[in-house]
Amino acid sequence: MSAAFQFDDNPCRPRHFKPPPCMPVVPDGPAKRALDGCRPRLLIMSLAFIIAFVVIAGRLIQVTLLPGSITVPRIARFDPVPPPPPGRADIVDRNGKLLATTLESPSLYANPRQIIDAADVAQKLVATLPGLNRNEVYAKLTSGKGFVWIKRHLTPDQAYAVNQLGLPGLQFQHEERRVYPYGALLSHVVGFTGIDDNGEAGIERGLDSSLRGRQESVQLSIDLRLQYILHEELARVVDDFTARGGAGLIMNVNTGEILAMVSLPDFDPSHPDTLDPRHPEWTVAERMFNRVTLGDYEIGSVFKIFTTAMGLDSGATSMTGRFDATYPIHIGRFTISDYHGKHRWETVPEILMYSSNIGEAKIALAVGADRQQEYLRRFGLMSAPTLELKEIGRPHYPAKWREVNVMTIGFGHGISETPLQIASAGSALVNGGILRPATLLKLPPGGAPQGTRVISAETSDHMRKLLRMVVLYGTGEMVDAPGYVVGGKTGTADKVEGKHYAERKLLSSFLGVFPMTAPKYLVLVMVDEPHPNKSSHGYATAGWTAAPAVGRTIVRIAPLLGVQPVDESSPSIVQALTPESMQGKRIEAY
Amino acid sequence: MIRLPTLFWLIIVATTGFAMFAIKYQVQGLADRLTRTVKQADDVERDIRVLDAEWAYLNRPDALAQMNQRFLSLVPIATKQLRTSVADIPMRPAPPPLPPPPPPVVTVAATAPTPDAATIPAGNSTPPAVAPPDAPAQVRLDEPVSAVATESPNPVATTPHEKRIAAAPARPTAVKTASRQAPTHRAASLNELIAQITESR
Repeated sequence: MSAAFQFDDNPCRPRHFKPPPCMPVVPDGPAKRALDGCRPRLLIMSLAFIIAFVVIAGRLIQVTLLPGSITVPRIARFDPVPPPPPGRADIVDRNGKLLATTLESPSLYANPRQIIDAADVAQKLVATLPGLNRNEVYAKLTSGKGFVWIKRHLTPDQAYAVNQLGLPGLQFQHEERRVYPYGALLSHVVGFTGIDDNGEAGIERGLDSSLRGRQESVQLSIDLRLQYILHEELARVVDDFTARGGAGLIMNVNTGEILAMVSLPDFDPSHPDTLDPRHPEWTVAERMFNRVTLGDYEIGSVFKIFTTAMGLDSGATSMTGRFDATYPIHIGRFTISDYHGKHRWETVPEILMYSSNIGEAKIALAVGADRQQEYLRRFGLMSAPTLELKEIGRPHYPAKWREVNVMTIGFGHGISETPLQIASAGSALVNGGILRPATLLKLPPGGAPQGTRVISAETSDHMRKLLRMVVLYGTGEMVDAPGYVVGGKTGTADKVEGKHYAERKLLSSFLGVFPMTAPKYLVLVMVDEPHPNKSSHGYATAGWTAAPAVGRTIVRIAPLLGVQPVDESSPSIVQALTPESMQGKRIEAY
Repeated sequence: MIRLPTLFWLIIVATTGFAMFAIKYQVQGLADRLTRTVKQADDVERDIRVLDAEWAYLNRPDALAQMNQRFLSLVPIATKQLRTSVADIPMRPAPPPLPPPPPPVVTVAATAPTPDAATIPAGNSTPPAVAPPDAPAQVRLDEPVSAVATESPNPVATTPHEKRIAAAPARPTAVKTASRQAPTHRAASLNELIAQITESR
C-alpha cells in the first residue's frame, strides 16, 4: 500500500481519502500463472459473443432490409374480422339456378329497461309492423325484463322502417332463414329444413351433413325448366282426371341422372305443415309423401318390358317366338285374361304391343322362376334403390315364388316397385344394357358411372324396336309426339286394397323413351286413381291418361334438351326400328 | 454544453421515436380501413345473397308464364317450326320491288324491341294481351334453345313488311308496361315471401 501513494498527483486530496493506486499490478508467482491461463479463455468467450452478435446483426439486416427474403410469420398477419361462420350451403340446379339458399333475417327485440315511453313505442311499432297486437307489445315493454322478442324474422323493408323510428331500447338480432324461391315446384326433391336448420326432407335431409358448414353450393342434376314442364303436365293430367295423385320422372338413360322428379300432391317447403287452401282434402302426410322414391306400386303392364327382355336375353324365346293367347289361363282360384287381347297365337312383339297378359305369363313360365328372380335381381328390382334421399321405398314381392307368382309377376302384378326403380331398370333396357344407379347430383361430363351389364346389347336393341312398336301400333298410340321417335309402354293396374284388387281404382302409367334411334331420355308418368272424363270417352287407362301427358312433356322438353326432330317416316328410321321378322308385313293395329 | 456525440444520439433517438409512432398510427389507420372494407364487402355479399334469392323468386317459371300470357303471348315452339340445318330452310321467294331497302327479318330470337321497331309510332293501339296474328313462337325468354329455331317460313317469306308493322305496335307497349309494373311488384314479392316463411315457423 505504501508504494501506491507515490503515484497520487493531487496534492490537495486528504490522505485518508486517497484512492487505491490505478497502475496495473503485475503479479508474479502462482497468480501470474493463473492469469496467463485465463487469457485464452477470455479470448474464446469474446469470440463467441462476437459471433453471436454478428449472427443477430445479420438476421436483423435480413429481416428489415431485404424484403421478401423470408415469409412473414402467421402470427404477425392482421386479421381484423374473423370470417363469418359458414352457414348452410346453397342448392342449385344443373344450370346454376338457385333452389335453396340461406338468408340472414333480422329479428327485433327490446330491452324494456331502456324504453322511455312504452305506450308511445308500442303505438309506433304496431303502426310499422303488421301482425302485432298493441296490448301485447305494451305488456312486453312494461314487463321490466332485460330482453323480450317483439317480432322474429323481419323483412329488410320492415327492419329499415323500425330503424327509421329511431327509438332507444330496440335492437336487432340477426338470424338465419332457409329460403326456397321456387316453392312447391321442387318440394320433394329439395325438401325443407326445420328448426335449427336440420334437414327434414328431400336433399336437405339426405345430404344434411354435407350441406352444413359448407361454402360452395351443391349442384343437383335437376333441370328447373324440365321440372316445371313435368310439374305442369302432371298437374294437368291429375286435374283433368280428378286423380288422387301422380308421379313423374325424367331421367337421362345413359348416365342415370334425374332431370326432373315430381310427386303430386306436393307441399310448399316454406310452410310444409299447412293445408293447401285449394285442396283441403289433402292431408299433410299425403302431400309430404314422395310417390317417386318412397311409394311402391304394382305397376302393371309396364313391367312386361322386363319379362320380355329377360325372355329374349335368356334365350327362353326369341323375336319370332309365338305363344298361344287364345284362351285365358286358369290356375288355382286365379284367371289370367287379356284386356286388349287378340285371342289368337301371338308373336313376342305382338304380345308386348297389345299388352297381352296371357302371352307375358307364358313368357315368364318359359323363363322360369329361378331365372326370373335372377334377372329381377340384376335389374335392381328386388332390393331398395340407392339415391341421395332418405325417402326410399323397398320393393315388395312374395316370399315364396310359386308358379302363379311367376305368371302374375310376368305382367306386373304381385310385385310392387318404386317408380324410381322402374325408370332405372327401364333405362338399362334401352341404353345398351347397362344399369347405372340413379342420382340427383349433377355428374361431370363423361363422369357417368361404369354401371353393370344386365342384358346384352343385342337384347337392348330388340327392346328399342319393341318399345317403338308399342307406340306405333300398340297401346301407346296416344303419345303423339311426332318427330321425336318415342317408344314406350303403357301400364294400367288395378290397385290393391287390403287383400283384393279394387276394380275401379286404377294406377295408370306410361314409360316413354326418346329418341328410340339412340335413346337419351326417359319420361315416366304415373297417375294414381284417375277417373274417366268426357274427353277420354270414359277411359282412364294409361293410353288415355299417362301416355298423352308423356307425349306433351316430350314435345316441350325435347327442344330444351337439344333433341332434334326427325322425319319418322324416313325409310332409314323405319328400317332401323322394325324387327326383322315384321319387316314388309302388314301389322294389325291395336 | 452538449457535446457532438450526445447531440448525434439525441437526434437518432428523436427520429426513431417519431418514425415509430408515425408508422404505428399509419398501421392503425390502415387496420381501421381494412376492417371497414371487410365489413362493407360482407354487407355487399349479404345483399347479393338477398338479390340472388329475389332474382330466383322473380324468375319462377310460373310467374314468367303468367307475364308471358299478359304481355307477350308466346307459345312453345311447334315441332314443325324446328329446323335442324340451314339447308332445311326454304329459300325466300323473290321480294316484290319496293322503294325502301328490305327490313331486317324478324327472327324468333329478337323478341326484345329493336330500336328500329320502337320508333314506329304506336298509333293504332293494339291491346297488349292480344297477340299479333303471326306472333313468333318462343319457349321462354331466358332459355337457350339448342336446336336452330326459325319461324315457319311462310309468313316471313311472303309478307315481311306486313309482319313488321303488325308486330311493331304490340311489342313496345308490352315491354314498357312490363318495366313499369316490375318495381312495385318486386318490392312486395320478397317481403311477402319472407313474411310467409316467418309466419309458418
